[in-house]
Amino acid sequence: MQITISNHSKEPIYEQITTQIKSLILTGELAEGAALPSIRKLAKDLQISVITTKRAYEELEKAGFIYSIVGKGSFVAEQNLEVMREKKLKVIEEQLGAVVTNGKELGLSFDELQQLLKFLYEE
Amino acid sequence: MFHLIKRDVILQKKQLLIFIPFILFFIFMDVHPVLTFLVASVFIPFNTYAYDEKAETNILLNSLPYTRKEIIASRYLGAIFYMSIAIVLTSAALFVFGKLFSLSDIAIGSGLFLLFAACTFPLFYILKPGYITTAVIIGFIVLSAMGPPVVLYLAEQFSGITDFIMNLSIPIVYTGSTVLIMLIYLLSWGLSTAIYQRKVF
Amino acid sequence: MEHVIEFKGVSKRFKDFSVQNLDLQVKKGFVTGFIGENGAGKSTTIKMIMNLLKPDSGEVKIFGLDYRTHEKEIKERIGFVYDANVFFPGLNLKDIKRIVAPAYKRWDDRLFYQYIEQFGLPLNKAIKTFSKGMQMKASLAIALSHHAELIIMDEPTAGLDPVFRRELLGTLQELMIDGNRTIFFSTHMTTDLDRIADYIAFIQNGRLVFQQSIHEVAENYALVKGSLDLLDRDTEKAFIHIQRTAAGFEALTDRIDEVKLIFGDAVVIEPASLEDIMFYLKGGVAHVSFN
Repeated sequence: MQITISNHSKEPIYEQITTQIKSLILTGELAEGAALPSIRKLAKDLQISVITTKRAYEELEKAGFIYSIVGKGSFVAEQNLEVMREKKLKVIEEQLGAVVTNGKELGLSFDELQQLLKFLYEE
Repeated sequence: MFHLIKRDVILQKKQLLIFIPFILFFIFMDVHPVLTFLVASVFIPFNTYAYDEKAETNILLNSLPYTRKEIIASRYLGAIFYMSIAIVLTSAALFVFGKLFSLSDIAIGSGLFLLFAACTFPLFYILKPGYITTAVIIGFIVLSAMGPPVVLYLAEQFSGITDFIMNLSIPIVYTGSTVLIMLIYLLSWGLSTAIYQRKVF
Repeated sequence: MEHVIEFKGVSKRFKDFSVQNLDLQVKKGFVTGFIGENGAGKSTTIKMIMNLLKPDSGEVKIFGLDYRTHEKEIKERIGFVYDANVFFPGLNLKDIKRIVAPAYKRWDDRLFYQYIEQFGLPLNKAIKTFSKGMQMKASLAIALSHHAELIIMDEPTAGLDPVFRRELLGTLQELMIDGNRTIFFSTHMTTDLDRIADYIAFIQNGRLVFQQSIHEVAENYALVKGSLDLLDRDTEKAFIHIQRTAAGFEALTDRIDEVKLIFGDAVVIEPASLEDIMFYLKGGVAHVSFN
């Protein structure tokens, strides 16, 4: 499991970890049931405080992405990842719909919208 | 706690090499055996105080899993232990060089040592570090210079007691003094423990 | 036992300084950084943790035990690293080990030699010939060789070069993989704590100003910068202390939401480093004029 954190980002480190693990799970790179490194090992590998990885895992567990067993470790939750993915796609669809409507109101062409999207994507 | 006593040997490895020549010096100067025994006994226990003078040593000892009682106990028991060894070695040396000495010399020498230790050890815990060596040296000088005259003076003043003691048989005098000295030593031990328990490092 | 160190209402008075009403709690399995400027009471607190000093009032519990009844048991489980060398300077590491090892029931020679090799320390040279960094490494090697559950470090990185400090922190991070170990690390180099601390306890003038996780600190404190005309008697109240210069102001707040409400986008809000927090909680520097 490869994670890269930035010490200088505005985003708190635990959030960066949470985000990266979430996408690893959603894209299937981390399979259901896969074991995650212990919070202490991860902290040492990333050279950050244990309490930070602890928080990241806690947030992931709250959101239902992983579960932990005392003494054994943390694992990717086996559950409706498909459903979660569907839901997220639906939200993206709706948001894009709104973007298209607003864009048309302003008279933006498809290319201009695309440029804007490209710009934001590369940020 | 026995390890605490052992540490003196480890600490003073180099000084111990001087020990034998040191004793031999006194032997060849034909010093009274009592004094030789006394000086030999004093060597190790009092040298340790040169190390214990430093604040860091106390911090170290009290950070290790030892109680303050144990630390003091190791001092007092260690003194007896090292005194015994010193006497054995000194006796051997005296014997080898054909110098005469008697059991009473040993008895008086060790008795004086214990008395001296009992009087000075508590001072080590009362006085601030740095003053200890000075105190010991001064104490020693004072004791040897003033001791005999004071005793003589008291003996004259309290001739009643002196006569009483003189008339006691030798064994009783020796037993009596031994008990007295042991009591003083124990009292000193208790006092030092009490002082050390309250110390702040 | 959740708290390895627990102080309840601990006070100690000296001639010209006192430590008041400390309620310190150090959680097991984490690194707690203890910060404060020189003279704030850090060493006094550490001495009370090690029973070198007894408090005038209050209760000190280590591993849930009392020093009055369990002194040896507690000290068996503590490894200590002080800011000055406490080991006999004239001795070499071999002899020091001969004196220290028998004191501990769980001394592990194998571990000791492992650390000596890892830290590159000579066994046969007197400690007084070691550099400050080497002395600290030696203390650490000894502290880690008896399976201690609590490691107390009093200003261990003072006077050490940055490269070495990094290596030390790496070693400590390695140690924390064992969830039973706790580190209590007093320092005024707050940058060291950024890398490793989980909790921060901040002492000032003998009082514990706060003890929080690093997340709570980040969420509670922030640095606010803006132009001077934004300040008036009312808006000033949102800040702990304000530094004014001709170019504007910089202030520390522990009410981030309130600041956002009052000033909105007119100010820059940034995370406050531990150094900022220490500086502003002290009261900053007297007004400096650039006119």
